[in-house]
Amino acid sequence: MASREQELSALPQTSDPPRGPLSRLLAGVISPFLRGEPRGLVPEVLGRVIYPFLRGEAPKPQTPTGFYTDTTVCIGCKACEVACKQWNQLPSDGFEWTGNSYDNTTELSATTWRHVKFIEQFSLEPSTNIPSLDGASDESPLNRWLMMSDHCKHCLAAPCHQACPTGAIIQNEFENVYIQADICNGCSCCIAACPFGVITRSEMGGHSHKCTLCYDRQRDGLEPACAKACPTQSIHFGPVDELREQARKRVEQLHERGVPQAYLYGDVPSETYSEMHSFYLLVDRPSVYGLPDAPFNPWLHMMGDYVRSVAGGLAGIAVLLVVVFLLKR
Amino acid sequence: MPVTKVPGWHGIIAWDALLNGMATGLFLAAAVSELAAPGIFMRVAKVAYPVAFVLLIFDLGLLVLDLGDPLRFHHMLRVFKPSSPMSLGTWCLTIFSLPLTAAAALSLLAEVGWDFEWARILAVIVGLLPGFGSAAYKGVLLSTNAQPGWKDARWLGGYLTNSALVMGCGELLVLSAVMGQTQATAILRTAFIVLLVLNVIPLVLLFANLRPAHALLYTRDQQWRFGVLIAAGMLIPVGLMLLKGDLLFVLVAVIVLLAESWLIRFVYVKIPHTSPLEVRSGE
Repeated sequence: MASREQELSALPQTSDPPRGPLSRLLAGVISPFLRGEPRGLVPEVLGRVIYPFLRGEAPKPQTPTGFYTDTTVCIGCKACEVACKQWNQLPSDGFEWTGNSYDNTTELSATTWRHVKFIEQFSLEPSTNIPSLDGASDESPLNRWLMMSDHCKHCLAAPCHQACPTGAIIQNEFENVYIQADICNGCSCCIAACPFGVITRSEMGGHSHKCTLCYDRQRDGLEPACAKACPTQSIHFGPVDELREQARKRVEQLHERGVPQAYLYGDVPSETYSEMHSFYLLVDRPSVYGLPDAPFNPWLHMMGDYVRSVAGGLAGIAVLLVVVFLLKR
Repeated sequence: MPVTKVPGWHGIIAWDALLNGMATGLFLAAAVSELAAPGIFMRVAKVAYPVAFVLLIFDLGLLVLDLGDPLRFHHMLRVFKPSSPMSLGTWCLTIFSLPLTAAAALSLLAEVGWDFEWARILAVIVGLLPGFGSAAYKGVLLSTNAQPGWKDARWLGGYLTNSALVMGCGELLVLSAVMGQTQATAILRTAFIVLLVLNVIPLVLLFANLRPAHALLYTRDQQWRFGVLIAAGMLIPVGLMLLKGDLLFVLVAVIVLLAESWLIRFVYVKIPHTSPLEVRSGE
């Protein structure tokens, strides 16, 4: 399994033709070395040095797509996890009995791009009431089991995208956040920047990985593997505008049916964070699901941090200059 | 409870932040002093540039080693993204390394009789802006993110850039004392004392930023002990410099300052890794 991952990360992305005269020239230089076995040290080094500077033809923008995940109908079957692993050929993480409900996956990682969370909310006192989504009820809201299929939020202004110094993280033609594995150098800036803890660096290869929103399937007109596999239609895939409309109707429906706490998370921008192209219908506080209650884009602070940084340096230089000028005679 | 993942930035990053400050600070202190008073500082500056170059080489080595795929370091140079402090920093360091190399090489060549003074001064002037950028980006990189503690450190950049100048001035002071440059030593000793005092301001502001995180991580006793260590790291160099300006005092003062600077950086880098903030590792 590990060798498969290495093999995949080593594959050059040669499907897009080089763009611009410089890229075409560079591509001509290294094209003999892109396929097949390396033919010695010099070609290998030359290929490695030139390859990242090649530019492919930019695809035409498409209708923005995303996920809407209705957690109220998730049954925790993990079909999405399995479908994701299978389609993306992600290796198994082994099996560890965590003791945390039915969650033995524990977290999103470089090899797990979908993670079904189980949140048990049961009071210690025995109760005969069973909470129901149908009709108003006065049962204890604590006697329930929340499940949520988590994944990358594909934020419109994604901190990981802003942080990436190599340009490996891009917003593709579907406005999904995508990591080009052949460009990533494992600097980990994206991991530090993501407020949702989505991205992870793989121990094998040392590059960052996360959900691609099945970019390859989308390019072929297919829906992502997880959405296709979901048996309860908890995971909806489609154009973001349509998903938002659908989700809002569902919230209204739930309100009418006695679930007033239902709301959407990430469908619209807040003062501190952009909208997400993968948003959720939740029935409890975001932190209960392991999501930040008020996500914050760290880049809102960047300009001020630079100003303070420059001011600190200039103050030091000014002091040095003043002392030198005062004492040099 | 934080939901973020911690990047695999550990001790190497603390050393990187220290060496970055030492290299850029030494260059900036030497360049500013030399350009302001060439007659007094030229000799010591000519030694400072090669030393700054060696420090920068070690720093760049650590930067490369810390990558998940070190052989792809040059991928950083395929785009220029001002929105990414790492991208801006890499470009600044890359550009800075060229005039620094030239200044260091021309300084050494001057020692063997090949004196290209105008070219050396030009290299020094050209290196000022990227050198300053190389010092200034590091704090922003470590504060512009979603990590618990780090995301609140608004004054980290201010502290680190200022600290680079303090360390640079201290290193230049050691070199001038070793070389027996009396006038340069006297001036730098005064500048060093003033800079040490000035550096307290961003440091206090930084600790005010980090107080909530420290309160979660450490007991009151631990915070006090750490505070005393930091205060000693500031006060001992100031005290030594006020007492005497000879080589031994200068050397001890600068060593204490460097140890304190490393400690601050190490403690800072460890914040998100420290229980109970570390929920899951990003590695």
